[in-house]
Amino acid sequence: MADKKTMINYTHRQAGHCESGATSNLLKFNGLNMSEPMAFGIGNGLYFSYIPFLKIQFAPMISFRNLPNTVFRRATKYLGIDATVIKKIKDPKEAMELLDRNLEKGIPTGCQVGVFQLTFFPPEYRMHYNMHNLVVFGKEGNQYHISDTVMEFAQVLTYEDLVRVRYAKGAFAPQGKMYWINHRIDRPVDLKPAIIKGIAKTVNEMIGIPFPLIGVKGLRWMARDIKNWPKKHGNDKAAFYLGQILRMAEDFGTGGAGFRYIYGAFLKEAGELFNNHQELLEASDLMGRTANKWREFTYVGARNCKNRSKPEENYGTLSEKLLEIAADEEKVYKILKNLKF
Amino acid sequence: MEENQNTVYKDKSYGQYRELFYSYDEGGKYDKTVGLHGEPNRLILQQAWDLFNERIEEAKQKVLAGKASPVVYYMEKNLLDPLNLSMMAGISLWRVKWHFRPAAFKRLSNKTLQKYATAFNITVEKLKKIEE
Repeated sequence: MADKKTMINYTHRQAGHCESGATSNLLKFNGLNMSEPMAFGIGNGLYFSYIPFLKIQFAPMISFRNLPNTVFRRATKYLGIDATVIKKIKDPKEAMELLDRNLEKGIPTGCQVGVFQLTFFPPEYRMHYNMHNLVVFGKEGNQYHISDTVMEFAQVLTYEDLVRVRYAKGAFAPQGKMYWINHRIDRPVDLKPAIIKGIAKTVNEMIGIPFPLIGVKGLRWMARDIKNWPKKHGNDKAAFYLGQILRMAEDFGTGGAGFRYIYGAFLKEAGELFNNHQELLEASDLMGRTANKWREFTYVGARNCKNRSKPEENYGTLSEKLLEIAADEEKVYKILKNLKF
Repeated sequence: MEENQNTVYKDKSYGQYRELFYSYDEGGKYDKTVGLHGEPNRLILQQAWDLFNERIEEAKQKVLAGKASPVVYYMEKNLLDPLNLSMMAGISLWRVKWHFRPAAFKRLSNKTLQKYATAFNITVEKLKKIEE
């Protein structure tokens, strides 16, 4: 058993976001050439939620992405591709055996993992963040070959480490979740209906949910909160909270600006697919500008974290910037809502 | 491989990992680039890690002074808060908080110690004393 070697001819490509990258790579492996933004858009990864009363790493929870596994599940569902998702496996041994069987059959398998114990991950990103995704595509003795799309190259993990990250505990525990595509895709797949469905769902999630902490409303709520942070929590804590927002937006493999760039790229690709659809391209352009504003927001915010001379004024401008971004994003979703194909 | 430009990090290996970034120019073109993090990101990361290191050091001093149990130190070292720790170790929140006191920690059974040790990914012997 120790010398047994199974390797699947799977190409590792770096991507901006862990899950849409994994989805796109898996689809490419199975014969459907789909870019990362496309997978991200169809699987509607774009999201925003702000939950001030739930603390992650001592700061309010902010999420720019959807719940784990949404991208893969929705993308395959909308495209009509036969895929398997196993949400929960109680016994770690069973989960690993299932993985081994899959590898022997030649199926690269995606797993949800926790980041904190991942040995190859950069130490500065070791957070208790359980919504990371990677693809296992080979086994060599005790070592598994891993394609983590956030990293530049493919990596290896030992059996024990893989079990540990797959059964990381805490909020959103992965519980051995795994997913894969069952068959090779040999018939041509029509992307258009999937794109329409994906856009409609994203629009609904960003402006349609009547709950104040989700979508554009959540963004506005956060903008109003930022203004009060220095008074409410003191200067140091406010700077740390702000840092948390910026880290969530820029790091953790978002492709920059909290996925807004990826979504803009998706809109552009979709617009080109619909014979240069004017409104889609317009929305894409606006999304790109919004993403640039997000990046600007990061620059200003980071400078703010460094020298904290005039907190109230600075946080006021930041809040205004965020409100502006929220207004822009709302415009994009309004355009997308009234699309006619 | 480019040279590591990150001087702000205390650890040498920090920030050497190249990531993929998207960007957009006003002409309507999306680009992909692979590179190191920019200055603002490094600042933010450094800020967060300064805070974490401070908390770890504080906890260490407390434990050495006999005012807190090693659980507090290892909790901070693993960047956890009490709620997360209780979820990871499978011990209820108020019991976890109870075990922050050195006197309560001394009376812990082996079974409970093992639970903590598994959560922190260390051995029980290491859990009982703190040293680098």
